[in-house]
Amino acid sequence: MSGLELIDVSKSYGATRVLDGVSLSIAPREFIAFLGPSGSGKSTLLRIIAGLETLDSGEVHLGGQRIDGLAPGARGIAMVFQHYALYPHMTVRENMAFGLINAKVPKDEIASRIAQAADILEIGSQLDKKPGQMSGGQRQRVAIGRAIVKQPRLFLLDEPLSNLDAALRSRTRVELAQLRNRVDAALIMVTHDQAEAMTLADRIVVMNDRRIQQVGTPAEVYARPANAFVARFVGSPAMAMLAGRVISGESGRLRVRLAGGAELQTAVAAAGIAADAPVEVGLRPEHVTLAPPGSGGIAATVELVERLGDRTFIYTRLAEGSEVIACAPGFSEVRPGDEVLLAIDAAAAHVFSADGTAHHPEASA
Amino acid sequence: MSETAPSSQRLSPLVTVLLLIGAGIMLMPMLWTLLLSFKSNAALMADSGSAFMPPWTLENYAAIFQGSLTTRWLINSLIVSTGSTIGVLVLSSLAGYGFARLDFPFRRTLFVIVLLGLAVPEQAVILPRHQLFAMLGLHNSYPGLILPSLTGAFGVFFMTQYFRAIPPELDEAALLDGASRLTLFWKVLLPLTWPAQATLGVFTFLGSWNDYWWPLISATTSDYFTLTVGLASAQMNYAQTSGLGFLMAQAVFASIPILVVYIAFQKQIVRAMAGTAVR
Repeated sequence: MSGLELIDVSKSYGATRVLDGVSLSIAPREFIAFLGPSGSGKSTLLRIIAGLETLDSGEVHLGGQRIDGLAPGARGIAMVFQHYALYPHMTVRENMAFGLINAKVPKDEIASRIAQAADILEIGSQLDKKPGQMSGGQRQRVAIGRAIVKQPRLFLLDEPLSNLDAALRSRTRVELAQLRNRVDAALIMVTHDQAEAMTLADRIVVMNDRRIQQVGTPAEVYARPANAFVARFVGSPAMAMLAGRVISGESGRLRVRLAGGAELQTAVAAAGIAADAPVEVGLRPEHVTLAPPGSGGIAATVELVERLGDRTFIYTRLAEGSEVIACAPGFSEVRPGDEVLLAIDAAAAHVFSADGTAHHPEASA
Repeated sequence: MSETAPSSQRLSPLVTVLLLIGAGIMLMPMLWTLLLSFKSNAALMADSGSAFMPPWTLENYAAIFQGSLTTRWLINSLIVSTGSTIGVLVLSSLAGYGFARLDFPFRRTLFVIVLLGLAVPEQAVILPRHQLFAMLGLHNSYPGLILPSLTGAFGVFFMTQYFRAIPPELDEAALLDGASRLTLFWKVLLPLTWPAQATLGVFTFLGSWNDYWWPLISATTSDYFTLTVGLASAQMNYAQTSGLGFLMAQAVFASIPILVVYIAFQKQIVRAMAGTAVR
């Protein structure tokens, strides 16, 4: 059986285009994260799949059946809303039963499905409470329970963790990961939090500007971003981007002169990039370290120091104005205002053409 | 502060005394009515001050149930008020849901037209309405007494605002749960409007109960008098046949249903008065 198939989906609100020719294929039990900034179209796409928005053109198929003309309730989809959307006047049990009653599921079957879901989510003792009497975390579980009992072919989760406090969020993250092992359905989660997407999803769909920018595993999206947007958006702290010009290709690899004058010998294949072309060099924090004094690194001024315990992120600014983030192990003693030298692992640098196309370092033989 | 009750709940002796005086002034006419209703008409003809002294009697109340039309008027009032209340609640809820949630052509224009209804005083339409009802033969009937109250714009406006305050995510959740529009309205949204229904219902009921003008115009035979019209008509022969005690007993009797409504819906009335009926 096939999973979800989106074919050339487009959507406008009046004159404003919000989705532009989106195509995507999702396997039956895959966990997908839609990741992107506000206004990227990810929530609209989710709502189109759910049937809460109509599409202007394109097709949506689920399990081999075209569903974009079906009513939301007839699609075999369950959704967990950002603010839970539990029916406030119904008990937890009634909330979970509502969809099943509408689907004319037999009573004893409803009871057994609710008991099973309550067991999985450990809300068995809460079944006769109303949502107003429960904490945010418990409501979240009820919302998930309401989705589970419907035994859908596809779960949609709209920013499922955004209303929880930090401690509860990481716990719920673990529970969501366990959930996907228990249900026989695909999951799509919309999030703007890349940590959620990286930890939970099999594949991440990075969206921006009405379009899908990249679809890939968390590792692919992080290590081989498709373009400058994905490179900047995925990873925390963000990848630093340094302007430069190609000066030559040496043994088939690009050599770039940065705006500040320093030269980097990258491991990016030179083919297809003209000499003197303007490019940006992308550097992840883990590929920039502090060099010992006198060792000939690039001079920079420390602006901010983030000490996380096991490592320290050092936000620095080069003389020509670019920001570069370095990473040091343990607790670093540098302070804002300090002059430091940066050692750049040029072999790990990514290069982006002026149009945003990415060129990745090749593994050295 | 931490050990004492909040200052708003503790009144200074002066305020307490002032409130007691105010309450006394408000209660005086009612107590006076009650006292008079327990005196024989003859005794009151001689000296109304005798109300403070025994003997007291239930004969005026007995008279209400013997021959007088008061019971009939009470039933009329109950039918008209209950009919108006149910009608207003049903129409306002449906219209409110429609204006708040459904997308249809000229929705905004229609809503503005409904709101304009708030600006038209009853006095301006009462003559044409009288003529219309006369033409349709609706005078001296229950529909004739009930129908005009159903056209009130306030209920529609009130319920529209209330439905708008309910998060649309609930509609979406219900649609994904396979609910039809009717199920969504009946099982999900309508139960959530209970506070608004109670407030609107109480005010419609009281308004209809106390309405004097339209029943006075529409009901010309005493069989269709409501209590307000009936009692006023009885007042005209005061001190001639019925007597003061009987009149007061009628007034007390007439206020029992309204008292019940007030007591039952105290919370909603206070909330509505405080302007917090809609969240």
